[in-house]
Amino acid sequence: MFPLQHFLYLSALLFSIGLIIIITKRNAIMILLGIELMLNASNLNLVAFNQLNPSTLDGQFFSLFVIIVAVCEAAVGLSLVLRVYHEHKTSIPDELNNLKD
Amino acid sequence: MVEVQSHQSTTVELFLLVALLLPLLSFFISFSISEKYSWVVPFITTLLLLTSVVSSVYVFFSVWKHEPVVVQLHWFTIGNFKFNVGILVNNLSAIMLIVVTGISFLVHLYSSGYMAADTSIRRYFAMLGFFTFSMLGIVVADNLLLIFIFWELVGFSSYMLIGHWKEKIEASAAASKAFLINRIGDAGFLIGLMIVWANQSSFNLIELTNTTEILSWQTSASLCIFCGVIGKSAQFPLLNWLPDAMEGPTPVSALIHAATMVAAGVFLLARIHFMFTPPALDVVIIVGGITAFMGALGALVQHDIKKILAYSTTSQLGLMVMAVGVGAPEAAILHLFTHAFFKAGLFLAAGSIIHSLHQAQHKTHDHFDVQDVRNLGGLRKKLPFTFIIFILCGSALAGLPFFTGFLSKDAILTAIQQWIGSEFSWKWFMLAIAFIVSFITVLYTLRMIWSVFMGEEKRTSTLPIAEPPLVMRIPLAILGFASLWFVVCSNPFDYSGWLYSGLHAGKYFHSSFMPIVSAVWVVLALVVGYILRKKSIQSSLLLHNFYLDRIYNALMVKPTLHLTSFTNYLDKKWIDGFIHSTVYTQVILAHFTNWFDRVIIDGSVDGVAGLAKGVGSVTRSFQNGKIQLYLFWAIFSIIIFLIWLII
Amino acid sequence: MTLLNFIFYFLEAVAAVSAISMIFIRNVFYGALLVVTCLLALAGIYVLAFAEFIAVTQILIYAGGILVVIIFGIMLTSKISGKPLVVQHSNVIAGVLAGVTFLGLLIYFIAAQKFNPFSTTKFAPEKSIQNFGTGLMSDFILPFEIAGIVLLVALIGAAVMASSIKSKNN
Repeated sequence: MFPLQHFLYLSALLFSIGLIIIITKRNAIMILLGIELMLNASNLNLVAFNQLNPSTLDGQFFSLFVIIVAVCEAAVGLSLVLRVYHEHKTSIPDELNNLKD
Repeated sequence: MVEVQSHQSTTVELFLLVALLLPLLSFFISFSISEKYSWVVPFITTLLLLTSVVSSVYVFFSVWKHEPVVVQLHWFTIGNFKFNVGILVNNLSAIMLIVVTGISFLVHLYSSGYMAADTSIRRYFAMLGFFTFSMLGIVVADNLLLIFIFWELVGFSSYMLIGHWKEKIEASAAASKAFLINRIGDAGFLIGLMIVWANQSSFNLIELTNTTEILSWQTSASLCIFCGVIGKSAQFPLLNWLPDAMEGPTPVSALIHAATMVAAGVFLLARIHFMFTPPALDVVIIVGGITAFMGALGALVQHDIKKILAYSTTSQLGLMVMAVGVGAPEAAILHLFTHAFFKAGLFLAAGSIIHSLHQAQHKTHDHFDVQDVRNLGGLRKKLPFTFIIFILCGSALAGLPFFTGFLSKDAILTAIQQWIGSEFSWKWFMLAIAFIVSFITVLYTLRMIWSVFMGEEKRTSTLPIAEPPLVMRIPLAILGFASLWFVVCSNPFDYSGWLYSGLHAGKYFHSSFMPIVSAVWVVLALVVGYILRKKSIQSSLLLHNFYLDRIYNALMVKPTLHLTSFTNYLDKKWIDGFIHSTVYTQVILAHFTNWFDRVIIDGSVDGVAGLAKGVGSVTRSFQNGKIQLYLFWAIFSIIIFLIWLII
Repeated sequence: MTLLNFIFYFLEAVAAVSAISMIFIRNVFYGALLVVTCLLALAGIYVLAFAEFIAVTQILIYAGGILVVIIFGIMLTSKISGKPLVVQHSNVIAGVLAGVTFLGLLIYFIAAQKFNPFSTTKFAPEKSIQNFGTGLMSDFILPFEIAGIVLLVALIGAAVMASSIKSKNN
């Protein structure tokens, strides 16, 4: 069994990087990728904490459901991006401000 | 002398109103006729005046030596006091009615020939009618205030007529001068009216007549009213407007000198003679004497034929005023009557000379001053009719026997002789002046007639001169005829004919001595005049009327101008300066309040608004529609929360 | 240092490096490939953490499903614009500041904790998948079914989105 801190530091690093990508990248697909990174970081945490109580497997169940939700999110998000790209010929979220004001 | 008669005869009143109002009607008609039909104006106005003359004659015969006509109308009420105006026609007014309407009619008739070529003929005849109406108003009014109103109207219409040829600068200047100088006298008249009102509370002549005792205020009141007479009748010191008034058309001069303007003063003196106290009468006779003397001397040296006549009028008016002053207004009126006819005749005859020469000049284009006697001479062959008229009227003016002038002058001299008394005093000096004046009158009359009609023709020898048209000769003939003695009196050496007896209520002094002295004196003057006929007196002092104009200029006009410039300076420097400084203070204050308003008040309001705007824009910047910034702020707040947890 | 340890650290390093390089990558396509790398490394780490089923699911669904869909999406958008998708950076300072601060805070919290296992009972790895399937069909049956419905709804929704594009184009 590997030290738990390793998993947690890696998870924190991945989550922070996903955050940076979400804030700085000017592209909707890139933001989706950042979200995937953050979800994986949480998954890693769940799997890692499951090691503390291996008999129940609760953490693994949660991570499975997170993966399922991530699949749905990715599918719907991508279709939205494509649709927006068709409508506005852009995938930069800053320019999609029709609802502003 | 008269008692109040409420009613006499409606017919007389009707004719009186006709005589009075027809000239006014003529005034309105002349102005309402269109320019296109202006040729009809002379006929209509002359016809109206003829009707007026006929009515006047009827009134005259109804009133003469009968009770006077009195009509009273309520005018206005102040408090409890009712002010009435009305008409009082006694013998004096009746004879003046005849004179005014008669002369005015003749002048109208004459003017329809003389002014035929004038462009503004409607205005001319309208003002003639108005002039006549105003004068008639003075004659018949029973009320000093009413007289004053008509008095001013006379001044106004004379102003209009003297300045009729308004293109001439001299004419308009002369009109202004006549008007302004009359104002000086009228101011005195107005003050006199105030004195009368303050003491008697009445302007009615009949009521004033009934106050028999002599009161102390009467001297000042009568002298103030005499100021008005001085102005209107061109007495010393206000006599210098009359010669200048010769710039007007010649028939107007005739009207002014004979019937309307200057006669108004003498008429008023006779009308209110009862008000004059002995000291006031002394002033009157001295003024009259000085005027007569100055006028006679002035007439002696003038070259302009109309100015000679003007100065002679001044002189004759002086004689009339003297007659009133010595207490013989009937003599003054007699002279006014005779003078009206022969002076009108002389003016109209002079006018016809001017007219004929102008016509002739127009044909030959030879231009010289036709009014200057030095350019004239020997016209008796070319203008025989005018010459005869000149002889007739001139003889009357000079006071030759068998002419009206002799009789009226005789009346005046007799009155003065009665007045001076037997003891020697300054009053003898007045008699001497009267005699000298009548002597000089003969001299200048002879000189004028001689230089115009006798001797060789000078500038006129080549001109095709013709007698004036018939409409101009008829008035001349009538006036020349009226200069003969039997118009006034059957006896050529006794002035107390029908006219004098009608005017004079008491006994009259007739001395057989005076006519003889007078006749001899005149014949002597005639002889002297004949001897001296070629001599001409060169006196710039007399030519310029004793430099009265210059004296007035130096004494009155210049100080007034200096005073006005001084007050102007005061006004500019101090009053305007004060106002300006106040204004500047206001402006500075206004600037300060403007600054305060703009910076402090507006600034505070703007500051509040700006603060709200700034807060709004700061908070608004969070809602900028950028989804990533939203995320950043969310994370940022979480971070802050976490840091707060640590601490 | 055993081989297992080496593999664990190697996988950790691969995941970390690929994630960090994501920040500096400008081409979206490369970014997607780096994510695939990162996910595959994570799947390996799951195996080492005794979560074989999750690891397999990770490979199948994430690397094989989602990322393929994303790469298709990238290709479609770049086909429309006709050039490779290049990402511009914005809010760099804010993003880096927030990320670094957040990372520092997380490390601070993690380092402050001591993690102790609840039970010391012996762990049977060979029964893990069996136990997982039993748990899924017994204790977690309701979430499982709901997850299936969610997947169906998401599938239909994505299909509707894509088909509405076509119908609009027609």
